[in-house]
Amino acid sequence: MREALSVNELSILFSNLSKGCEKQYKKEEAELFGKLSEFYGKKASGPDKHGLEDLEKMTRKDIDEYPEAKQKVLEESDRGAMRALVWSEKVSKIVSSIISRYLKSGNSILETTNIHVCEICGFVYLGDEPPEVCPVCKVPKFKIAKVRR
Amino acid sequence: MHAVRNIRLCTKDCLCLYVCPSGATDTEDGQIDAGKCISGCRLCVDACPSHAISLVPEEFPKPQDKSDTSIGVLMEMLKSKSEQSLIASAISEGTDDPVLRQLASALTMSNRLMAEDIIREAGFMLPQGESVKKLLMELKKDHDVPCDVIDRLLELL
Repeated sequence: MREALSVNELSILFSNLSKGCEKQYKKEEAELFGKLSEFYGKKASGPDKHGLEDLEKMTRKDIDEYPEAKQKVLEESDRGAMRALVWSEKVSKIVSSIISRYLKSGNSILETTNIHVCEICGFVYLGDEPPEVCPVCKVPKFKIAKVRR
Repeated sequence: MHAVRNIRLCTKDCLCLYVCPSGATDTEDGQIDAGKCISGCRLCVDACPSHAISLVPEEFPKPQDKSDTSIGVLMEMLKSKSEQSLIASAISEGTDDPVLRQLASALTMSNRLMAEDIIREAGFMLPQGESVKKLLMELKKDHDVPCDVIDRLLELL
């Protein structure tokens, strides 16, 4: 497993495990995983691609791959994996449409509005008041954070 | 299994103070004193009108096994989301435009959260799970790693 994970993926794994410890009220463990996440995060080198256009291409590619990915985990009866794929597929479609709109219209679509991100599933919401529950993962509104400008 | 209080939900009705046989619920920091809490007692959990108290297990069952197919599918998606979070982060760091910076940091967060959710389903659900310990041991063999942090984690988990 070690070889399969890049430094950024290790950082991602450890920040998630840190949250898992926080939920168990294990403060020291949460901090230690947090330190590891930061350590591997700093080691991550800059990406090969650099623009929003690259992000647009990559989200589109993901969206194309979700049906087959979901079919494979369905055959494994892995409902946990299916849930993660269903949620991230929905979020990817929203993200892809936001990027496309931004590339077409520029700052005008965002200038007079706020951006929020659901801290549980990554759902992105453009607007001043986020919905009462996240439309993707159904978590209550207080878990949907405003992104500062 | 000891009791913990979610301060966000606690409405200070204090029923937990009345029912606790050991005084564990009455503390200055709002948390329940794990040293005094009677394992599995749950009187405060049931008495709390706001459902702000729950029990945290000390031991967990072994997580569900994951098939190589599932792991493979999830790892592919993880790679893409991880890469996208790096690209978005580079965009946000490299621009002077506050609107683009805000959008790019939202995209960084979003991709990172999706990636976190995906990797936990690939066999890393439980921090105390064997796969986490195994990975930590493997990482310890690398150069330039914070061995003290890893050792302490292995000791605690």
